[in-house]
Amino acid sequence: MNASTTTPRSPAAPALRILRQRAVQAAAVVVLVSTACFAIVQSLPGDIAFRIAAGRYGYDQVTAASADTVRAELGLDRPAWQQLLDWLGELLALDLGTSLVTGTSVAGELGLYLSSSLQLAAAALALALAGGATVGALAGARPGGILDRITTLWVSAARALPPFLLGLVLILFFSVHLGVLPAAGHGEAGNIVLPAATLAVGLSGLFARVTRDTVVQIRRSEYVRFAATKGLGERLVFLRHVLRNTGVTLLSYVGVQLLILIEGVVVVESLFAWPGLGHSLVHAIFWRDIPMIQATALALALLVVALNTVVDLGALALDPRPRRREVVL
Amino acid sequence: MSMRLTHLAVRHTDTPLVEVSDLHFEPGRPVTIVGESGSGKSLLAHAIMGTLAAELTASGNLTMDGQSYDLADRANRRRLWGRAMSLLPQEPGLALDPTMRAREQVAEGAGSFTTDRRAARRSAGTLLASLGLGQASAAFPHALSGGMAQRVAFAAATIGDAPVLIADEPSKGLDQQARAELAKLLKRHVDAGGSLLTITHDLDLARELAGDVLVMKDAHIVERGPARRVLTEPAHPYTRRLLAAEPANWTRPCAHAGAPADAGEPLISGEGLAKAFAGQQLFSDLSLTIRAGERVSLSGPSGSGKTTLGNVLLRLLPPDTGYVHHAEALHGGRLQKLYQDPAVAFPSRILLRDSFGDVIRRHRLEPGRLGKLMASLRLAPDLLHRMPGQVSGGELQRLAIIRSMLLEPALVFADEPTSRLDLITQQETLSCLMDQADRQQCALVLVTHDDALADAVTRRRIPLGPAENAIDRVKTAG
Repeated sequence: MNASTTTPRSPAAPALRILRQRAVQAAAVVVLVSTACFAIVQSLPGDIAFRIAAGRYGYDQVTAASADTVRAELGLDRPAWQQLLDWLGELLALDLGTSLVTGTSVAGELGLYLSSSLQLAAAALALALAGGATVGALAGARPGGILDRITTLWVSAARALPPFLLGLVLILFFSVHLGVLPAAGHGEAGNIVLPAATLAVGLSGLFARVTRDTVVQIRRSEYVRFAATKGLGERLVFLRHVLRNTGVTLLSYVGVQLLILIEGVVVVESLFAWPGLGHSLVHAIFWRDIPMIQATALALALLVVALNTVVDLGALALDPRPRRREVVL
Repeated sequence: MSMRLTHLAVRHTDTPLVEVSDLHFEPGRPVTIVGESGSGKSLLAHAIMGTLAAELTASGNLTMDGQSYDLADRANRRRLWGRAMSLLPQEPGLALDPTMRAREQVAEGAGSFTTDRRAARRSAGTLLASLGLGQASAAFPHALSGGMAQRVAFAAATIGDAPVLIADEPSKGLDQQARAELAKLLKRHVDAGGSLLTITHDLDLARELAGDVLVMKDAHIVERGPARRVLTEPAHPYTRRLLAAEPANWTRPCAHAGAPADAGEPLISGEGLAKAFAGQQLFSDLSLTIRAGERVSLSGPSGSGKTTLGNVLLRLLPPDTGYVHHAEALHGGRLQKLYQDPAVAFPSRILLRDSFGDVIRRHRLEPGRLGKLMASLRLAPDLLHRMPGQVSGGELQRLAIIRSMLLEPALVFADEPTSRLDLITQQETLSCLMDQADRQQCALVLVTHDDALADAVTRRRIPLGPAENAIDRVKTAG
């Protein structure tokens, strides 16, 4: 009786709407993040030129004269608004500038950092999903069972440990005590295990919890019961009805948690000396390398937008129901 | 195949909810159990299937095809599901997986699904086409009307060729036309040699199915016999009361009360209204006035646009053309709407007491009025200490009536307020609504697909014609 109807349109329309909305959002993020970063760097204590000179020549070599050279060369004595407009203008021309410290192209370095950050984030997410969703689904199959109670304990423990502490614990145990995994570095296959695991542990607890609650709720739903009385075996009911509908909820939840993942990347990369965006952001802040700060912060922000777009499109593919009611019949 | 039940009982701790000593099903002869909500009739169906809630215990014996099953063991009939016995669920809208296309949900019920999916899909397509759902087979459930969803569910429940079909309140919320379609399908199953057990509070459906009728009250069967006799010459007083609760038999004098059509001040006036959806004109050039104290009904089949017209009149939706004027008297919350499903009109995790407290504080009402209204609608005061999900549908709808009456409305707009309630509860609820409307001299607009109900309650009826192909239209939602 009550249902929504609209004029017919192609199935691609909702996807296009998502892309359009996210593109506008990305543009807004670029302007806001750039301006905010610039303002924050300007308000940091200490003379920027001195810090950059220290980055270039080492602390011992920094003199008032070398700082002045840096200031003149980089135009740091211009009014702040001019420097900001310059950066935004160059950004429009897709020019990220050169590092104030190393003098190399920011875009080139950024590409490397981005790809290694993505590697780390993808590995962490895959680990967290594989572990969390599996444990959650098993716990949800027997609510109140032994696995369910262990999961609750795991969720609380994983949430109570901040990533930097967990990372240190893992290093102490696996690298120092057992000596089976490297504590830091990049380039060898084993390097990614500890940082990815550190990120994954916190996330997996949340994923397990959400999966468990969703599975319990969906197993009680009318359509799961109907599927059973239609004659489907327990395994088919789970595979065909419980799994996909759990996926809809879990995917949206992953979208919300991506922010925590990106945040975690910054901390964990610094801890494990993983040469990604987070690591380079911390260094760029330390040396007041303004173009580098801007570019990495921007890349992290756009990464959040891009991942959310992927999540939205995935949810659209899994769940065909309209997102908003346009009319009531 | 014939089926026999002996000494069937369902209990919750020590309270008996169903006690039936002997029930017999013959192929080709439908059995219909009627009764009000809470009489235990749905539990009986679930006890047979083995799908009772975990906190309930069943006992008794089921004999089917020479094989005997102990009803206390809920697992022993699982292998019969879909093959020997099948359940047509109530609320097909909830029983279909929202993320799966109709044909796929039907195909998985076929016996060949685990061995040959293609064949299963083909036969699902054929079955759906034979039910007039050819173009709906690729649709997702949200795009199906209530009647279409019911037919998809019917296809899914019967594709496995189970000879015993149990239908649990299959006509809930369906209009006359969709119900007639459903009755035809159920009869088709019987004519093909199947056994049918239908649980319903819809006496019209029981009449259409014919066969045997069992009347259930407070866990027991109080009368049984051929439908023709039971539903025309009832022997038990309760059956007589059930029949009297059908809107066509209402005799309350206040049923036709309310102010005459042209006496009061105009409250809502609509001028030249038109609205179309998906290229379909629901109504056009419609002008109407609703006056103070009046009783008007908007009636018509599902999809005819009566809820939409109501929402346009309430100014919840803009009309395509024309305008709607509301009189001063309706401002400040004095225009109230009652919804079809009261469960979604109350916040589900907030105590009713708090929900009502908010209304009283917001509108600075005198708190004592709530108690008086509760008493006059025969509701116990301690209901307020429960969550909305812990009171029955009829009680919750009466609470919704109280919530709107607290504001002394000049007009109450009731959108199918009783279409999910059983006959006796429907009569109680509507007489409460009409009593209050009389007492407060407020106008009442009733949206309903039940013409008999519209005639019983209101003086003036605004019929909305069936929109073309409204019943079989697949909604293209976005």
